Amino acid sequence: MGKIGAWSSEQDRCENCVEMLFVRGSGNCVQCDTPLRKSNFRVQLFEDPTVDKEVEIRKKVLKIYNKRDFDFPSLREYNDYLEQVEDMVYNLTNNIDVENTKLRMEQYQRENRDLIQRNKVKLTREQEELEELLLLEQQGNEQRRLELLQEEKRQLQVKRKNKQALLDELEQSKLPATLLLAQHKVRAAQLETQIEQQKQAVKPTNLFSTGIHMRQTVSLQPAPKIEEVLYHYMPLQVETYGPPVPELDQLGRLGYLNHVRAALPQDTAGGYTSALACHRAVQDAFSGMFFMKR
Amino acid sequence: MKLNIDGLLVYFPYDYIYPEQYSYMLELKRTLDAKGHGVLEMPSGTGKTISLLSLIVAYQKAFPLEVTKLIYCSRTVPEIEKVVEELRKLMEFYSKQTGESNNFLALALSSRKNLCIHPEVSALRFGKEVDGKCHSLTASYIRAQRHADPDQPVCRFYEEFDSVGRQVPLPAGIYNLDDLKDFGRRKGWCPYYLARYSILHANIVVYSYHYLLDPKIADLVSKELAKKSVVVFDEAHNIDNVCIDSMSVNITRRTLDRCQTNVDTLQNTIQNIKETDAVKLKQEYRRLVEGLKEANVARETDVYLANPVLPDEILQEAVPGTIRTAEHFVGFLRRFLEYLKSRLRVHHVVQESTPQFLKDIFDKVCIDRKPLRFCAERLQSLLRTLEIADIADFSAVTLISNFATLVSTYSQGFTIIIEPFEDRTPTIANPVLHFSCMDPSIAIKPVFQRFQSVIITSGTLSPLDIYPRILDFRPVTMASFTMTLARTCLCPLIVGRGNDQVALSSKFETREDFAVIRNYGNLLLEMSAVVPDGIVAFFTSYVYMENIVASWYEQGILENIQRNKLIFIETPDAAETSMALEKYQEACENGRGAILLSVARGKVSEGIDFVHHFGRAVIMFGVPYVYTQSRILKARLEYLRDQFQIRENDFLTFDAMRHAAQCVGRAIRGKTDYGLMIFADKRYARADKRGKLPRWIQEHINDGSLNLTVDEAVHLSKHFLRQMAQPFKQEDQLGLSLLTLEQLESEEMLQKIAQIAHQT
Repeated sequence: MGKIGAWSSEQDRCENCVEMLFVRGSGNCVQCDTPLRKSNFRVQLFEDPTVDKEVEIRKKVLKIYNKRDFDFPSLREYNDYLEQVEDMVYNLTNNIDVENTKLRMEQYQRENRDLIQRNKVKLTREQEELEELLLLEQQGNEQRRLELLQEEKRQLQVKRKNKQALLDELEQSKLPATLLLAQHKVRAAQLETQIEQQKQAVKPTNLFSTGIHMRQTVSLQPAPKIEEVLYHYMPLQVETYGPPVPELDQLGRLGYLNHVRAALPQDTAGGYTSALACHRAVQDAFSGMFFMKR
Repeated sequence: MKLNIDGLLVYFPYDYIYPEQYSYMLELKRTLDAKGHGVLEMPSGTGKTISLLSLIVAYQKAFPLEVTKLIYCSRTVPEIEKVVEELRKLMEFYSKQTGESNNFLALALSSRKNLCIHPEVSALRFGKEVDGKCHSLTASYIRAQRHADPDQPVCRFYEEFDSVGRQVPLPAGIYNLDDLKDFGRRKGWCPYYLARYSILHANIVVYSYHYLLDPKIADLVSKELAKKSVVVFDEAHNIDNVCIDSMSVNITRRTLDRCQTNVDTLQNTIQNIKETDAVKLKQEYRRLVEGLKEANVARETDVYLANPVLPDEILQEAVPGTIRTAEHFVGFLRRFLEYLKSRLRVHHVVQESTPQFLKDIFDKVCIDRKPLRFCAERLQSLLRTLEIADIADFSAVTLISNFATLVSTYSQGFTIIIEPFEDRTPTIANPVLHFSCMDPSIAIKPVFQRFQSVIITSGTLSPLDIYPRILDFRPVTMASFTMTLARTCLCPLIVGRGNDQVALSSKFETREDFAVIRNYGNLLLEMSAVVPDGIVAFFTSYVYMENIVASWYEQGILENIQRNKLIFIETPDAAETSMALEKYQEACENGRGAILLSVARGKVSEGIDFVHHFGRAVIMFGVPYVYTQSRILKARLEYLRDQFQIRENDFLTFDAMRHAAQCVGRAIRGKTDYGLMIFADKRYARADKRGKLPRWIQEHINDGSLNLTVDEAVHLSKHFLRQMAQPFKQEDQLGLSLLTLEQLESEEMLQKIAQIAHQT
């Protein structure tokens, strides 16, 4: 795919021809004799040359028509403006009413010179957001890279220290070398597993997006079977120094629950019943009522 | 029998009940009471389906205002049909017990391919063809054209349904796919559209996951389902992958070429219409200036299920001016398309985030983020206005526009990977742009938000806590139930060494090791001599299976095995595999005995049950890790680590173990069934692997069955099989793992049952 020219003529030329024809930087078209500039020829980016041309035109138009959404009192007007711009690009690309459109553009440029200059430096809100996201991403990546680097450095140091320790020991200790070597091996293995664990340990944020703690779970391993004498349950006898507390399942029948807030269905899913709370309250209230100082 | 579940009268259509079923129903009832979501694991073959159905139906009958609908999602068509048949049994029991005629409407819904009764259309082989043909007969403007031109072919079943069927609701009853077809034939109505229409007022709907999770389909089918529904995802151990697949987009050069044709057609059609009927385009234009108010009102009044492809922000706004008119929009698409084409001309792999992509697209072709976001909706509007005949033809441009919307909406959770060639064939240029979703919660979020209770259940969901994390929801109940057994009918063995003490493992370093391959061969050979009838062996991948089988052949092991049993092999070809399966079953049936060599994650491992003598032993050769070098997987692991604090290794192991559990779970399909589960890899003995198996398997792995040699395993198997072969009658089970109503109601049993659920 070669180079193509913009604006005046859109001929496809191979790169060499362009070099040959425009040695001096400008020249006339071989077919239609229009004066052309070498710098207006570009490498074709897209398969469809009209798209190339359109993008070129669009970039030029957008340089002039660079109003932002906050320059308009309402979104509707902004959208109308956008459509107008789109119309112009469409006309220029498809060679419809080119002269008029160009005139209009020039006029607009004269009228809004200040605004255009001002907006040139400003990004649209969307682009700002994008830039911000990109920045965040970069920072995140950089941080992760640094952390990794540091981690590696630290590990290297630890390993070196370990080696040095072995040498020192071999030098000074009176124990046989084989024993020392074996000890060292064990230590090294431990170190290795430690490092492995650290590598995998990611700093835990233990909150769900809902604010619920993660990992509030019980391990799923089956409980190890203990095959010893079975434990016999002896009911717990507590001297409360008070009247006997009714059993949990008797509370409702005896009328204790009449004035206790009934459990909501949400509560019962977790195993809560109103009798539970009531039972505790009653226990609390009864205990120590008959207590006498001896 | 009639049960009292926590104060709710439940009709259960069998005379006996498993204790875990009772416990399961209790847990389910609590979830429904709390109007929350639940994760429930119960072993396969213990009657999950009927427990779910009887409890939820009872709940619907008792509180018709609280729960109006049950949406039961399953994976495959046979599974859907099985559920409906169970439901039929339940409903018959209801009418027998209460004496009233049944006023419940329950139906199954499947694709046009399974429901069409049009003589020509239903003869087509592929689902896509059926959809396309159906569309070209039933689209609204085709039918409008018929008024002018009576020769235009239309579907008479649809016509009949449209003119008569909509007024009369489907009479109450249970409709399986065939029942719907029969009903349709009798009335002359199109069963597919009848079903789609009827799910809105049905009490129970049974259909596939995709109707709820795939945004494209959900938008058509499930948008209007009532909020007060209970959604059940059965066999949900793979639900995260389904979610991810439904949101990911792959774009190849062919897609783009087809898209180019689409865009050309669009342009021509616009030209034509402009000349003949410019008013229509004007009307559309006016509507777009007003904005997507219609959709917004519907969303606000909460009529529709939210659609991730139609993000909330765009509903508040009008379509941006840059793509308001039809020509500008087509020009916009053209630019976008050319940009994508230029991106596909890469020579090395590119991976970038969505913000990077958006920045690049603005620099190269001046496309802003905002119009991209409206792309999918704008295209839909245009297609409607242009009255395009065959929507199926426009799948390419629809795909591209969906991609545009997704890429501009989500700055996180997605990644873009452009690969110039496949890993296996680095010389053949085949550029693909993977827009891959890494966060399954995006697709499933609308479901959790909209419906009052969502139940995720399967035989293998361990470890339970990982599902709420990766799907990002807060369950009110999480429970794992074990199987109560009158005899230990499963025997998991971990074989870690060969007879020559060579460690058995499928890990990468020892893949090609002849000693390992020979020992694997020995294991299979010796098992084939001991185990009666069928053995199913799973490998970690097709490539691995090919290698091993080839070298078994060279070493003469295959020949020896064939003296004991016939050998069948699963291949990637579906027809071949089903043939092999059929012959395998035949060989088991007539007593010759057979071995099926298949692949974890393949068709056999996911959907085929090997009841009784069809699977007396399952051997899992190696740990079925996914192919970890894939860039998409790597990106996903990274995302999981950064966003959910799930370590790479944890996730990989979790994924491998759930597939291993799926594979070995194929053998036990009920309490009278029995089978060996052989894990042939020394890595299974490690606590981190073992701990991720479902509890009902873990319970039976004791210290004596870890790290066995082949000989020891054979010895244990012989013992186990001899024990199991003794006659086993129902009386043996009664009172232990099978209960009558009286037994169930005894104090002692109720206490025992309370312990079955292992809550986390």
